[in-house]
Amino acid sequence: MTAITASQVSTASSASSVTTVSTVMIATPLRSSDALDLIRKRGTVVVGVKTDYPPFGRLDASGNPEGFEHDLAQDIARRLGVTLTKVSVTGANRLQKLEEGAVDMVIATTGDTGERRRIATMVEPNYYASGVTLLMRPEQKAQAWTDIRGQRVCAAQGSYFNRPMGQRYLLDLVMFNNARDAKLALRDGRCIGFLFDNTAVQGDLALPEWAGYKAPLAPAMTVPWAIAIARREQGTLLEKMLGDAVADWHRTGFLIQREKAWGLPPARFLQDTQKLWLSSPVPGQTVCSRTADGQWPSACRNPVFLTSGDVGGLRSLGLRWRELTGMDLTIVYDSYDRSRFLAGLLQTVVLMLLCTIGSLSLGVLGALLAEVRVFAVSQIATALSVYARMTPPLLQMYLLFFGAGAWVWATFGVSISPLAVAVWCLSYYTGASVMAALVETANHQRLAQPDFRLRLGTLRTLVDLSSGPVTAALVNVSKATMMASVISVPELLATATAIMSDNGNIGVMMNALLLAFLVLIAVTVRLLAWAERRLHQGEH
Amino acid sequence: MSLQEVFSALLAWTPYLLGGFVWNITIAVAAMLIGTSVGVLLAWMRASSKPWATRASLIATALSRNVPTIVFQFYLAVMLPSELALPGTAWVLVIPAWVKASLALSMAVVGFTSDNLHLALTQWRKKNHTTALLFVPSWTSYALIIVIASSTASIIGVSELVSRCNAVINATGNTRLMIPMYLYAGFFFLAFCYPLTLVMRQLRKTLSRRLPTGNL
Repeated sequence: MTAITASQVSTASSASSVTTVSTVMIATPLRSSDALDLIRKRGTVVVGVKTDYPPFGRLDASGNPEGFEHDLAQDIARRLGVTLTKVSVTGANRLQKLEEGAVDMVIATTGDTGERRRIATMVEPNYYASGVTLLMRPEQKAQAWTDIRGQRVCAAQGSYFNRPMGQRYLLDLVMFNNARDAKLALRDGRCIGFLFDNTAVQGDLALPEWAGYKAPLAPAMTVPWAIAIARREQGTLLEKMLGDAVADWHRTGFLIQREKAWGLPPARFLQDTQKLWLSSPVPGQTVCSRTADGQWPSACRNPVFLTSGDVGGLRSLGLRWRELTGMDLTIVYDSYDRSRFLAGLLQTVVLMLLCTIGSLSLGVLGALLAEVRVFAVSQIATALSVYARMTPPLLQMYLLFFGAGAWVWATFGVSISPLAVAVWCLSYYTGASVMAALVETANHQRLAQPDFRLRLGTLRTLVDLSSGPVTAALVNVSKATMMASVISVPELLATATAIMSDNGNIGVMMNALLLAFLVLIAVTVRLLAWAERRLHQGEH
Repeated sequence: MSLQEVFSALLAWTPYLLGGFVWNITIAVAAMLIGTSVGVLLAWMRASSKPWATRASLIATALSRNVPTIVFQFYLAVMLPSELALPGTAWVLVIPAWVKASLALSMAVVGFTSDNLHLALTQWRKKNHTTALLFVPSWTSYALIIVIASSTASIIGVSELVSRCNAVINATGNTRLMIPMYLYAGFFFLAFCYPLTLVMRQLRKTLSRRLPTGNL
């Protein structure tokens, strides 16, 4: 997710932000680094690495440490022209060892978070990213996070993603003290999946004991990994040297090549970052080159840690607003989220229009058929409308999309468009209400005019009496369009959910959704009232 | 999969599915109770002689009418905590998902009651008692619409009929069961709503017949 945002930023604001940064900030010469002097003096660099996190850091059959991150440490030593000394660290002590000076740097699956930036210096660019995924039992069929709403999911205490993931996807989380217990519970079928770091899950899937298990859900809440150096090393030659090394790894494809060598599945983050760091709109000038103050341009930095001073334009205003109020209006200042939100809005408007037209057409057709003098035709039309009104449109959507859809796919090799299914089901349900209103007014008309029969020509005479309930039904179908999100139509609700799960700005997105619908429905009511008036005028 | 196998599978899951349908009814009944109480209050405020009360009622009614219940459901599902510690006490208020669904659906009922009861009250004051009583069949018909709408609670993870259908289909991995299962679930709603609709239609007819002119 982070990588996508980064590449979007590059197109939107790189040019303006570069100038802003270089004019506002005064270029400062790089400080010399005590750590770098020490490394050169002793002729060896001490790197904290993991040995319990295969394949990033592990012990081989004869007890020698090796892994993806060990290769990175080796390359750093080569660039510095010194030998490498590896020190095994754990998640709990890695930053402490750095602060104590026991290690010069840490390359140990360290997630780049705001809290950690307060106690250590995180080198940019990031060299890898991990997110949370679900290790699922073999019989499970979910393909997207939204498929597992309300399901029992095992989780280990203390992971940063438990709470937000539980909230965003309404999971029924069963908490265990550690990852091992949670995995045992998963094995016993006490939950449908285990919520955990995707890199660790990939490691597990390679083991024979988890044969048949899978993790098809796209990693969510991605956190990039960074090389960490001591807090006091911020802005020094060491930070610059390491940053240049990681940038070089991205540009030359070294990271992707090491990823492949260690049998890791291709990470989207590495591909996106490589593309960004190689991009050069003007020949001979890359987007990601250091600016006058020695910083990377904001387009190439981790967008999570940008402050309003780092960028210009709308994005700067958005970030300043976030710093002041805590409200993250990404749909305003982030071009990617903005275009997603607008596309969702457009899709919803299209749905509302199609459903209004569909409901009216089906309703009028049904009413005409119900008034036909052929008994079988009128009875069938009436029966179909009763069925339509008495079964939930949501159930009809599942029936058509998954039930009939699977059959059509198996028989004809054609997949049914979810938009068409949604429009049909909502129009069928609402069309029945429209039809009922028309038939009822036709019955009423017959009290005064016993030979009255509803035909296309006589439809006009019913407008006066039937327009109230018909308009109400059409307003309702506009409100029901959000149901389409369950069969993956990318309308407003689906988009808003996606944006809030990427950014965690739940409150902002929910209020935006509420506001958007208030406006949309108010406009719909106005338009229908206008159409109703026009019809009345035509009649008199 | 033979027809007999389909029937025996449906039969085996019937108690589980019925249990889900009980939740649909529960959600709908709770939504009607909450929504009608608030709606009665709004209708009463609307008929009040104080202009501020009338205006407040109209704004509240418009708000409840203009926001889709699915948005409300999502809103409550993610914004309202599942457990609320009552300040100053040791009590923790647990808010299960079905209550949130009921609250969301009740918003639509508020608008409906406020509008229709207002009309009924106006008629009652004009001594058109029978016309006013037409509120009863309309209210019941609306309750049935809410029963149908309660199926959307499956989107926020309430284990009602539709989500139990999905659960059975996913758990058994038997995709052949999909079409019969959804049709069967549709039948539950039909069997519950249709007889009540017929009764209400009869009631409406009886009431209408007592009216001097054929008022609807």
